[in-house]
Amino acid sequence: MQLAVNIAVLASIYALISCGYVLIYRVSRVLSLAQGELMMLGAYGLYATASLFSAQPLVAIVAAGVLAVTVGALVYFALMWRMTGESVLAAVLATIALGILLRGLMILVFGTQTRYPLDELGMSNVSIEVGAEARISAAGLGLVIATACVYGLLFAFLRFTRWGIRMRAAGQNPLLAAQRGIGLHGVYALAWGLATFTGGLAGMLLACDAGLEATMVVIGLKAFPAALVGGLDSIFGALLGSLVIAGAEVLMVHYVDPLLSDVVPFFVLLAMLIVRPWGFFGSREELDRV
Amino acid sequence: MTPPRASGYFRTDYARDFALLDTRTQKAWMLLFAAALLGYPFLAGPLALDLANQVLLASVGAVALMLLTGYAGQISLGHAGLLAAGAFTTGILFKEFGAAFWVTLPASAAVGGLLGLLFGLPSLRLRGLYLAVSTLALHFIVIHLGSEYETRRGFSTGIVIDPPVIGPWTLYDARAWYFVLLSAAGATVLLSLNLLRSRTGRAWRAIHRREAVAGALGINVHRAKLSAFVVSSMLTAVAGCLFAYFRGFVSVEAFSLFLTIQYVAMIIIGGMGSILGALLGTVFVTLFPYLIERLMEALGLVEMLASVIFAVNYSAFGLMMILFLVFEAQGLVGIWRRVQAWLLLWPFRQKPLGGAR
Amino acid sequence: MSEPLLRLEGVEVVYHRVITAVQGVSLQVPKGGIVALLGINGAGKTTTLRAISGFIGLDDARVTKGSIAYGGESIENRAPHRVTALGIALVPERSKVFENLSVGENLEAVVTRPGADRRQLADSVYALFPALARLRGREAGYLSGGERQMLAIGAALACAPDLLLVDELSQGLAPLVAQELIGRLQRVRAELGTTVLLVEQNAQVALDIADYGYVMENGRIVIDGTPERLRSHADIQEFYLGAGGGTRRRSYRDVKQYRRSRRWYG
Repeated sequence: MQLAVNIAVLASIYALISCGYVLIYRVSRVLSLAQGELMMLGAYGLYATASLFSAQPLVAIVAAGVLAVTVGALVYFALMWRMTGESVLAAVLATIALGILLRGLMILVFGTQTRYPLDELGMSNVSIEVGAEARISAAGLGLVIATACVYGLLFAFLRFTRWGIRMRAAGQNPLLAAQRGIGLHGVYALAWGLATFTGGLAGMLLACDAGLEATMVVIGLKAFPAALVGGLDSIFGALLGSLVIAGAEVLMVHYVDPLLSDVVPFFVLLAMLIVRPWGFFGSREELDRV
Repeated sequence: MTPPRASGYFRTDYARDFALLDTRTQKAWMLLFAAALLGYPFLAGPLALDLANQVLLASVGAVALMLLTGYAGQISLGHAGLLAAGAFTTGILFKEFGAAFWVTLPASAAVGGLLGLLFGLPSLRLRGLYLAVSTLALHFIVIHLGSEYETRRGFSTGIVIDPPVIGPWTLYDARAWYFVLLSAAGATVLLSLNLLRSRTGRAWRAIHRREAVAGALGINVHRAKLSAFVVSSMLTAVAGCLFAYFRGFVSVEAFSLFLTIQYVAMIIIGGMGSILGALLGTVFVTLFPYLIERLMEALGLVEMLASVIFAVNYSAFGLMMILFLVFEAQGLVGIWRRVQAWLLLWPFRQKPLGGAR
Repeated sequence: MSEPLLRLEGVEVVYHRVITAVQGVSLQVPKGGIVALLGINGAGKTTTLRAISGFIGLDDARVTKGSIAYGGESIENRAPHRVTALGIALVPERSKVFENLSVGENLEAVVTRPGADRRQLADSVYALFPALARLRGREAGYLSGGERQMLAIGAALACAPDLLLVDELSQGLAPLVAQELIGRLQRVRAELGTTVLLVEQNAQVALDIADYGYVMENGRIVIDGTPERLRSHADIQEFYLGAGGGTRRRSYRDVKQYRRSRRWYG
């Protein structure tokens, strides 16, 4: 039972981060490998706002969310819009370079010690009982609930609202979208803002759970196989992929060898690439397009 | 193969057409350059010598990656894994069997070749991003195997390797290393240039541009892809072996994703599709941290940032990569060619017809 | 006569700074009219349309000479979505619909000009093309050629344009279907008051509904006139309308067209 709880929490983390990968890829055909660093940025953002507004935790949380969205849009306008039209490799490398730059800057600004935004907020991470033998931390529960909400809202947004349809259209055929009056820059910036928000949300809750330290960024990279296994242009696939990866990781660590935790996602990824490269729900043309 | 630089030099037969050095002027410059390279260790101080050694060592790996990604167009993010494979083969053979370096070197190359085959298999089905991701996954698996070995055999801090011994003579002097590494780098460059002049090289270029058309022209696309991976991986593993001996130390932490990114930066910043680019990029990226240090000293910021100097390096590296990607798509080679064109054509000025490649 | 809605004067378009695709094209499209731009492949018609709609920058092409004036305002080398906002919509030759979206979603995705009633526009599109109303939930990738073309026109109309640019309407369609769609364009003009610039290789079908026509060859307008004049012109008959040339032709050099065009350029 505890295993199931662990899987749920880990899957939530991966799901929130990987939906960022999928959003950006689906809308602008760019694979952003900076999601781990953006997640960290969100977490540090919460720490910063928590220190600023330590008396009003709600304000701090909302401010951190707004900050994450703005930073995402800023990243697009500062860097990524210049990379439109460049080769795929160049755009991916630009995101990698961005991640490196952000990582260095975060250490310079915030230092290397572990931070505890939860303390700043004056809240505590209580442990809640689930069922007979399992426990889940408040932050963990928050993660699961947040994932459910985010995914539900995202589905509804993309399927039913006009801007969601426009985002999907821009992802399929940017030229035609421009002809129909859809401003591509706005759509891309929106995708980046949303992706940074969801990743940042994961980072914030994770920081509340386990403390905020620089090594957390590795989780961002492990979430990437989740996005690919599900299909790089399917939101639902990201959810399913996260469950699969998280399940494999937790089970392997529990039953086989704790050292495997970092490498299991990539084994699963490799298996998927061999059997079904486009993932569970990805579209097959993606392979040839690249 | 390269267009003649100045008029008045005509190629009268096939052999002259793909000779490496065309004109007498080129040969003269090459001799001068060779003399400078050979004389360098006797004139340079210890730091400069060590830097040169690092550059030469890195250039082997960089040229290998350039062959794979720059010429054959197969994106690979597993470079650090291949270096680690070479280094760990050397380390394992040394520690378990006390093997000498004339055993470990070919063994590393063989392991590299086999791994190259493995890394190259996904390329038969996947392209672009998906291929890069599969190489990334393989990198993590190789690293994991390496760390498994370390923990299982109790070398949690890494494997120490004795310097290589040839007969009575042990190789640990910086100057001696310089000549060894210079020959290694020179051999790599020569091998690459020859491969590129040959049918293999032409096949690689063809599959890079338009795979379908290459296949239609009778090129065995699968063989070309796999050969690119195998050759590149063998060279990289040899670089890893040299790396192990040079450092005298092998541990998993040295072969992170950041190392791969550094090598990719070398070929991108240098300029894709050019061996000269690989070399220029290597020099730039290897010397970059030292440049940053000098800059910090000059700005008087050293004490303030001493504890986080690696973060400064990190940020500066990321920023530099971004600047090159955004502003100078053709890299250092692009700049070099522009300077060359300007020098050649002076006092005439030439504006290229736009979109010059 | 009132100012034409669209006026091109001596427009020259150059690709990659070396290839002149359009050399000195001048044409006018009066408000509320249907104008046909005819010519074979490679004549420069599509380039002209792209120059008007702002898409040539993507192919590394520029309008290097001349002017494109829309409602008095010059619009050469402007960004595509700006041009759309001014009221020009393009029905492109290739990739005309969003394949993975449904018909209804395709129409929803369009950005309507500010001030236009989206509901009303959608209704008029469905009234013009009842087949689309039936297929509202179908994914666009599964439509037939004719249905796809209808959706493309409908989506362009959903922008509430004043000027509709149509690129190769009849391409890939069965002749009867092409004729029917061309007829719908007439209804578009009649019911919505939209001006239409129609680029076509199929001169027969285009001249059926056009008020005026221009013929392009090798980047230049070689002849223009009303459909009656064009239809009765001997060279047009021979080269574009398929009417017999009378004498048996042995080679291209014998074709009157070739000799005539040499004269035009001379």
